[in-house]
Amino acid sequence: MIETCADRVSAAFRLAAALFIVLNMLAFSACSRNNGGNGKGAKSSAAMDSTLVIAMLGDADYLNPVIGATVTSSNIFGLIYPSLLQSEFDTTTGLMNYMALEKKLREVTPGQGKKAPKGALAKSWHMSDDHKSLTYILRNDAHWDDGKPVVSADFKFSYQLYGNPVIASARQQYLAELVGADKGRIDFDKAIETPNDTTLVFRFYKPVPEHLALFHTSLTPLPRHRWKDVKADEFRHSPLNLEPLGAGPYKLKNWQQQQEIVLVSNRKSNLPKPGTIPAISFKVVPDYTVRLTQLQTGAVDVVENIKPEDFTALLKANHQLEIKTVGLRVYDYVGWSNIDQDEYRKSGTCKPHPLFGSARVRLALTTAIDRQAIIDGYLKQYGVVCNNDISPSLKWAYNNRITPHAFDAEHASALLKVEGWLPGPDGILQKNGRRFSFVLYTNAGNARRNYASVIIQQNLRAIGIDCKLDVQESNVFFENLQARKLDAWMAGWSIGLEIDPLDVWGSDLKKSRFNFAGYRNPRIDELCELAKQKMDPVGAKPYWLEYQEILHRDQPITFLYWIKETQGFSKRIEGEDLNISGTFYNVDDWRLRPSANIAQ
Amino acid sequence: MLIYILKRLLIAVPLIFGVLTLTFFIIRLAPGDPAAFFIQPGISPNVAEQIRAQYGLNDPLPVQYFKWLANVLQGDFGRSFSRAQQPVFDVIAEALPITVIIAGLTLVANFTFGILIGIISAVRQNTFLDRFLTVTALFFYSMPEFWFALMMIILFALKFPVFPVSGLNEIGAESYGPIGFLLDRLWHLVLPVTVLSINGAAGIARYVRGSMLEVIRQDYIRTARAKGLPEHVVIFKHALRNALLPVITLMGSSLPFIFSGALFIEVIFAFPGMGRVTVEAIFARDYPLIIANTFISGSLIVLGNLFADVLYAVADPRIKL
Repeated sequence: MIETCADRVSAAFRLAAALFIVLNMLAFSACSRNNGGNGKGAKSSAAMDSTLVIAMLGDADYLNPVIGATVTSSNIFGLIYPSLLQSEFDTTTGLMNYMALEKKLREVTPGQGKKAPKGALAKSWHMSDDHKSLTYILRNDAHWDDGKPVVSADFKFSYQLYGNPVIASARQQYLAELVGADKGRIDFDKAIETPNDTTLVFRFYKPVPEHLALFHTSLTPLPRHRWKDVKADEFRHSPLNLEPLGAGPYKLKNWQQQQEIVLVSNRKSNLPKPGTIPAISFKVVPDYTVRLTQLQTGAVDVVENIKPEDFTALLKANHQLEIKTVGLRVYDYVGWSNIDQDEYRKSGTCKPHPLFGSARVRLALTTAIDRQAIIDGYLKQYGVVCNNDISPSLKWAYNNRITPHAFDAEHASALLKVEGWLPGPDGILQKNGRRFSFVLYTNAGNARRNYASVIIQQNLRAIGIDCKLDVQESNVFFENLQARKLDAWMAGWSIGLEIDPLDVWGSDLKKSRFNFAGYRNPRIDELCELAKQKMDPVGAKPYWLEYQEILHRDQPITFLYWIKETQGFSKRIEGEDLNISGTFYNVDDWRLRPSANIAQ
Repeated sequence: MLIYILKRLLIAVPLIFGVLTLTFFIIRLAPGDPAAFFIQPGISPNVAEQIRAQYGLNDPLPVQYFKWLANVLQGDFGRSFSRAQQPVFDVIAEALPITVIIAGLTLVANFTFGILIGIISAVRQNTFLDRFLTVTALFFYSMPEFWFALMMIILFALKFPVFPVSGLNEIGAESYGPIGFLLDRLWHLVLPVTVLSINGAAGIARYVRGSMLEVIRQDYIRTARAKGLPEHVVIFKHALRNALLPVITLMGSSLPFIFSGALFIEVIFAFPGMGRVTVEAIFARDYPLIIANTFISGSLIVLGNLFADVLYAVADPRIKL
C-alpha cells in the first residue's frame, strides 16, 4: 500500500515536472521563432538588425541636459538635444576643437575632424578683442521636433535654468565667468543678450580665453516654449522630463525606468541628420558578470569597462567580439597625507605628517613600489606608468622629458635612511621610537585597486614598512577622505580635457576641496594662475611643463598608472570612432551589419 | 478570530512605526551623504549645498524627524532623492508587482516541490530514493544563492544557451502578441525563480519529511490503516494534514527570506523590483526611499506572519485564536 501511495506521489511529481517542461518548451518555441536562427541569443532577428543594444550599469537620472548629471544621461540626452557647437578632441595635438557651421576654432589636423560640423546650431561666432564678449550667429533652419524654430531666446532661457539655485544644476560652474557671477549673482539681462532670433551674445566680467568661452557657452539648450511655465521648484519632477523635446539625430521612443531606454532615429532631424542605426536600446544590467554574459551571447552589443582578466575568455568564447580602448583619462594613485591631518582638523594648522611629511620619504615610497609589475600583472598593454596628472593624451602640454621614477628598493631604503628611518628589532623601520606602520585604505568593489594594493603592501614590506590594507564601502571611504581622516589611501581621478588642477593641488586647503593630501606649494598656485591668464592655451605650455617637473620632484602622492578604458564591442558595429571625449561620441554615425553576415 | 486579527493589526501599527523611526535615525547616522555625487571637481561647491537644502538635510536631526513625522502621518513619504524626485510610492508601485510575482512564484514552487519531495522521502524512508533526495536537498540547502545564480547563468545561458539571463522581456517582445509576451516573461522568470526556490524547497522538504515521519508513527494513523482506509487517504488526509501544521508557519516566516533573496536575484538578473530599488537606495543614501521600502517590506512581513497564524488556526481546529 505504501508503495502505491509513493507511486502516486511520484506520479504527481512527474506530472508537475512535465508541466513545467512543457511550459518552458512552449515559451522557448515562442522565443526561438523570433530568433532568426543565428544562434546569437534571444533577440528577434528583425529587431536585432535594426537595434543597437548598449548595456548600462544603471539607469539615466534625467534625460534633461540641465539636471541630468550622470555620464549615462549625457550620452543619451546628447543624442536627443541639439548643440550650439560641435566639439572634437584632436588626438594629434591633444587640444579640443570647437566648430560652428562656417567657423572652426583651429584648423583640423589631417586625419582628424571626423565629426561633421553640420550638427552645430551656430553658424559662426565672434570673440571681442578684450575677450569679454562672445557673439554667436545662429542658423535659421533648425527646428525642435514640434516644428518650432530654435532661437536665441531658447539659450538665454536655458542658461537661466542652469544658473537657478533652486534647480541646482550640476553644470552651473559653466556660468562662473558671466557678468555678475563675481558678485555672487549673475545679471542675466546683461550677461546674455538676444537682439534677434539668430544673435546670441554672452558677456563676461573678466577676459576669458576663447576656447574656454566656447566650452562654457555651448551648454545644451531646452525649448523655451515647452518649459517656460514650469516653476523652478517643480523643475526636477516635472512630467516633461519623461518626454524630452529635442532636435538631435535621435528621439526617445520608450523609457522603462530601471530597465531600458529606447531611442529611434529622428527622421526630421537636420542636426546633423537622422541617426544611421534605426534604434538604440540602452539596457540596464547592473551585474558585471551578467553584462559580460550578455555580450558573449550577443544579447547586447557594447559593454563598457571590461576587466583585462576577462578578455581572453570573452574573445575565445565569441569571435564576433573585440575590445576597443579609450584613454588616457583615468589614473590611480596612492595618496599620502603631506600634513598631520589630526592637527589640521583640530586647530587648522598645517604641520608635516610624521610619516609622509617629507618629499624625500614620499619619493622613497614611489621608488619602492613596482608600478610596472602592477601594470604587467593586471592592466597589461592597457596601462601606462603615470608621472603626474597631465595625461600623455594631452600632447600639447605633456612633459615627455620626465623619466618615471624607476622601481628601486635599495634606492628607496637609502632615501629613508637619510631621513632617519632605520630598521627596528622587528624588521620594521623606526624613527624616534615611531614605527613606519600605517593603514592603506581603498574603496570596496574595485578589483584593479585590490590587486595593486596587495603588490604595494609586499613592495613596502620588502623595505621594512608595515602597510595594512583596509577596504571601505565607497560612501564611507569618500566621506572619510573628505573629512581628512585617512593618512594613506588608494583612489583614482578621471581628468577633464581642459587642464585646471587648482581644485586638487591649491595651497588654500579650504578652497581646494580635493587636495586630500594637503600638499602646498605656492609655485604650483602661481603656475595655475599664470596658465589661466593666457588667452591661447598653447601659450601656457611652459607653465604646465614646469608644473609637471615640480610634481615629479615633490611626489605629493604616488601616481601609479594611466588606464586605457576597455570597451567590449560586437563586430557587427561599423563606423565607430572611440575618442577620449567618450565611447559614444559619434554613435549617430555607427552602422550595423545585418546578422546574416556575421553568423559565419 | 476577527477580534484576534484586529488586535494583531493594532499592535502592528506601533511596531512598524518603531521600525521606521529606528530606520530614520540609523540611516542618517550612517556615514555617507545623499549629495555626495555632486562633490567632484568641475562641479560648483554650491550644488551639493543647494541639493541638501532641497532635501531639507541642513536642518538639525530632531527638526528633520518631526517634519518627516508630520508628513508621514499625512501619508506623504516624500520624493526619492535618487530617482528623478519621483514620489517614493510611485517608485515602489512600479517595483512591487515584479517582486510580488517573483516571490509568489517562488513561494508556490517552494512549497509544491518541498512538500512533494518531503512526502516521498518520508513515505520511502531509508530507501535509496530517500537518501538521494536527502543528500540533494542538503546540497542545495547549503549552497549560497548568489553563487548558485551565477552557476545557473554559466550553465544555462553560456554553455547551453536556452534561458535569457537578464531583464523581464526580450527586445521587441511587444510584437509577440499577448500570449507570446506572457510566455516570454515566464521564460525570463525560469532561472531566477528556480534559483530562489530551490534553496527554500530543499529546506521545506527536510521539515516535511521530519514532520511526516513523526505523524506516520502516531496511533491514529495506525487506526486509520486498521479501519482499512486506502493508503493515499491515510497519507494525504490523515497524515499530511497534521504534518503540514509546522510547515504552514513556515509560509509566513519564509516571506522575509524570499524578499531578501529577491534582493540579489533582482540585481543579478536585472529585474527592476523592490530588491534592486532597496539596494540602490541604500548605496545612494536615498533616505525617503529607504524608509518607504522598510515600511512596505515591514508591513508585508507583519501581514505574512499574521496570515500564517490564521492559516494555522484554519488547519488545526484545536487552535483557537
